[in-house]
Amino acid sequence: MKQINKLKKQYNDIEIPSELDEVVKQTIQRATITKKRRSPVKRWSLGVAVAVAMFVGSINVSPAFANSLVNIPVLGSIVEVFTVQTLTMDKETYQANLKTPAISGLDSEGLQTALNEKYIEENKELFKQFKADVADMEKVGAGHMGIDSGYEVKTDTEQLLSIARFEVNMVGSSSTTMQYDTIDKQNNILITLPSLFKDDSYVEIISAYIKDDIKQQMKDDKNAAYLTSEGADPEFHSIQANQNFYITADHKLVISFDKYEIAAGYMGVVTFEIPSDILSDVLVGDTYIQ
Amino acid sequence: MTKTEKFKLIEKFIIENQESHYRLAYSYVRNKENALDIVQDSIFKALQSIDRLDEINYLKTWFYRILVNTSIDFIRKHQRVLVMDDEVLDGYLPQTEDRQIDLDLLDALDALSAYEKSLIILRFFEDLKIEEVAAVLDENVNTIKTKLYRTLRKLRIEIGEEN
Repeated sequence: MKQINKLKKQYNDIEIPSELDEVVKQTIQRATITKKRRSPVKRWSLGVAVAVAMFVGSINVSPAFANSLVNIPVLGSIVEVFTVQTLTMDKETYQANLKTPAISGLDSEGLQTALNEKYIEENKELFKQFKADVADMEKVGAGHMGIDSGYEVKTDTEQLLSIARFEVNMVGSSSTTMQYDTIDKQNNILITLPSLFKDDSYVEIISAYIKDDIKQQMKDDKNAAYLTSEGADPEFHSIQANQNFYITADHKLVISFDKYEIAAGYMGVVTFEIPSDILSDVLVGDTYIQ
Repeated sequence: MTKTEKFKLIEKFIIENQESHYRLAYSYVRNKENALDIVQDSIFKALQSIDRLDEINYLKTWFYRILVNTSIDFIRKHQRVLVMDDEVLDGYLPQTEDRQIDLDLLDALDALSAYEKSLIILRFFEDLKIEEVAAVLDENVNTIKTKLYRTLRKLRIEIGEEN
């Protein structure tokens, strides 16, 4: 057994690289993020899940069935979001998991079809691109690549439906982008950010608020790693006129930034809830934002 | 136990035992980058599939199994890379300095198959019980005992020759 002990000593002498700790923590964080993003779907009650599964199954199997649903009044009047298509790839080092949402039950079929087709088209394109990237990688030798996309229903009230769609790219580190669609279910309108306001002044008002909030956060919390230009001034200057946003169930406007857009990577997707009172002067009305 | 508690527990286990996990991966591939890759892959796989771990008491063997399988998968792929041209190959070969340091260990363990390596590492270096080794490698206890005995004999002979 002596030799074994000698071997064991050599084994224990294997040098631990300084970056191990960082790699481990980052991986855990990345896994947590992907998990969290998925959980809202899991939180649905079992009954709904089963119903959705049957629904999706039937739609995927039979277009005729899908069409017939629209004509059933009970089903037609409930606006639902469900996974209509899943594209996956599971090769050893290449993993893709793309979930395409679909909306059903909107009164305006035109809007519904337009959105659903957009979702399907986007994921199809994403998957095509990913397959092309994998093929390129395989030519060179080997590599690790992963892509994850899916969605989360942010708000679902009598009036509003906000869907967030995310896309996580993993090549080395991961990047995340979020896109939102907010729909007025009663009037069948796809709400855009400019459409909420009387004129362009909202850009400045919201930007100023976010800038102050970033400064405050950085003061209160050393871990708030927003990108800064020289000095301690946040690099963030202004939101886009059509910045990503959604509206919460209690009628608050939330502005969203992609990972890396204004903060260090580990902060992930950053969102700001804008107090409604600073917006009240420029809002078109108080139907959506209160 | 709620899912979050379970996740936290696994997370804690992974962080506390990261050095063991790295060493285990390293002894298969003998290269820092590849070993880090394996550790990373294993953690990701584990955390993505915590639903499949029914009994938290099996956490250790469950994670080791993922780690061992990921390592062996890696070696398999690595062997395929060996037939490729030199330029590509260079990136995958262990660095020379690494090779110097662990020369003895490599020589002795090199004679073993990946499976035999797993047996020795888990039982003697990671100090797992025979039952635990059996659980990691998905075999019954008696098979593990026999194989371990056989591997030890093989190993001793290899070391003997070297001395």
